[in-house]
Amino acid sequence: MIIDKFVSRIFAFVLSFFLISPILLVVLFAFTDRAIASFPINSLSLKWWVEIFNHRQFASCLFNSITIGLSVALVSSITGTMAAVGLSKLPTKTASLTLAIISIPIMLPPLVLGIALLSFYVSLGMKLGLHTVIISHLLFTQPFVILVVYSRMITFDYSVIDSARDLGASPLKAFITITIPIIQPVVIGAALLAVALSVDDFIITFFTIGAGNTLPTLVFGMMRTSLRPSVNAIGTIILFMTISSSIIALWITKYRG
Amino acid sequence: MKNKNFLLITPAIAIFSFLFVLPFIYFFLISLWKIKFFKLIKDFNLVNYEKAIFNYVEIFLNTYSISIPVAIVTTIIGFYYSYLARFKTGKFGSIMIFIALITLFGGYLMKIYAWKTILGNEGIINSILIYFHMIDEPLSFLLYSKQGLIITFVHFLLPFSILPTYASLRGVNEIEIDSMKDLGAKFYHVQFMLFFQRCRTGVLASFVFCLLITSGDYITPYLIGGKITFIGNMIAPKFGQFYDWPGGAAMSFTMLTISISIILIVTFLFKFTDPK
Repeated sequence: MIIDKFVSRIFAFVLSFFLISPILLVVLFAFTDRAIASFPINSLSLKWWVEIFNHRQFASCLFNSITIGLSVALVSSITGTMAAVGLSKLPTKTASLTLAIISIPIMLPPLVLGIALLSFYVSLGMKLGLHTVIISHLLFTQPFVILVVYSRMITFDYSVIDSARDLGASPLKAFITITIPIIQPVVIGAALLAVALSVDDFIITFFTIGAGNTLPTLVFGMMRTSLRPSVNAIGTIILFMTISSSIIALWITKYRG
Repeated sequence: MKNKNFLLITPAIAIFSFLFVLPFIYFFLISLWKIKFFKLIKDFNLVNYEKAIFNYVEIFLNTYSISIPVAIVTTIIGFYYSYLARFKTGKFGSIMIFIALITLFGGYLMKIYAWKTILGNEGIINSILIYFHMIDEPLSFLLYSKQGLIITFVHFLLPFSILPTYASLRGVNEIEIDSMKDLGAKFYHVQFMLFFQRCRTGVLASFVFCLLITSGDYITPYLIGGKITFIGNMIAPKFGQFYDWPGGAAMSFTMLTISISIILIVTFLFKFTDPK
């Protein structure tokens, strides 16, 4: 029994280490002074950060990523929450079928989604830009929002609404003064997940943005030409944006797998 | 009342229909058209599919000879990870799930980049081994190889496999497992029961997701795989420097058809393990 427990712990530790170490290494090497990411580390330095902040395109990429992330989060949290509230009042079977269908874009390879959207936009004569990226991202952020909010809504106590209605509140007033404050944390959490997913996306952005750049497309361009540790610095910024928003989201929504 | 509920779902359905259903119908039509002097010609023929199937046999084989093992290995490791987190590690279990959630959001490109710096000739593994004089020459088979590609894929996909299986395992009671053991079940009996019966939805979801994502990826093979080419590496340039949308569309649908067929076969085989 003791050996069994010991072996389990070792496996658990090795697997956890395998999962987390690449991410920690990206952050670590953003703060070293050598031109290649390798051991031993001689001294720590901020020179890659200076290089990044002086990069010609960095500011506009950061701005684009933030604009896209926030717009996607705003729109998908509104449409997603509305859908989740609506679905929670339907029979479970209908709701889960609708959810499964709406979630198909998450399962598809991003490449196929990206090129299908690209050819669609171009054929409609749409100009590619941030707006096309934003509407494309809705496709895969919206299902997450619906899923997270829906799982809160199915345990929602509707008797509170009924009391408000009995006391003379209009349906809209009941929704604004009761439903929204109750589900607000979950909606904010879901919106932050949408930010994380949107900021991280590379492939769909790459096909639908046209000439512009976001942080991931900038990283891709830099990775193709060289392996300078300044990529680690941008990577750390992307990681900071995605991981901090998702940690706050997980904490607010109490979502645990 | 009922109409109001449908009204609430309408915006979400509209986004799904206008940005997914319509583009995909259009994308399918494109796969039947042809291209002449850099212009799309509306047509109806299956030439593109013929080319997609017969000209790229080797690349399709390449793609699936890596993505099927990746999907299986990831699903098994993901199940084992959830099993350890759920039953074997006590308090550390919730840290394990937290780590899985962090890596889930840890960035697609950055993970590939991290593996490139870990596996390279001057990378982390080689530099550590050389520093401790365990090797003299860097191990060159790590990066730009099948092994490196598989490691990167498995690492990227693991969180997607851990979370659904862990969700299924949460519903399993320790008493159930203990009573199985009391009745004489061996270690592998318990694992088999959990894997094929209690986690079947999670395990299947993990396999489906891993297979679809791996077979359709082209960035990981491009940056890590060296000479290994996936079908995605042939599709992507047709929407960039080689303007050939019909060809690329037909290849995409061929790829999806193959992936979905594999998934249907695996789902069918899974039925045999169902005791009901």
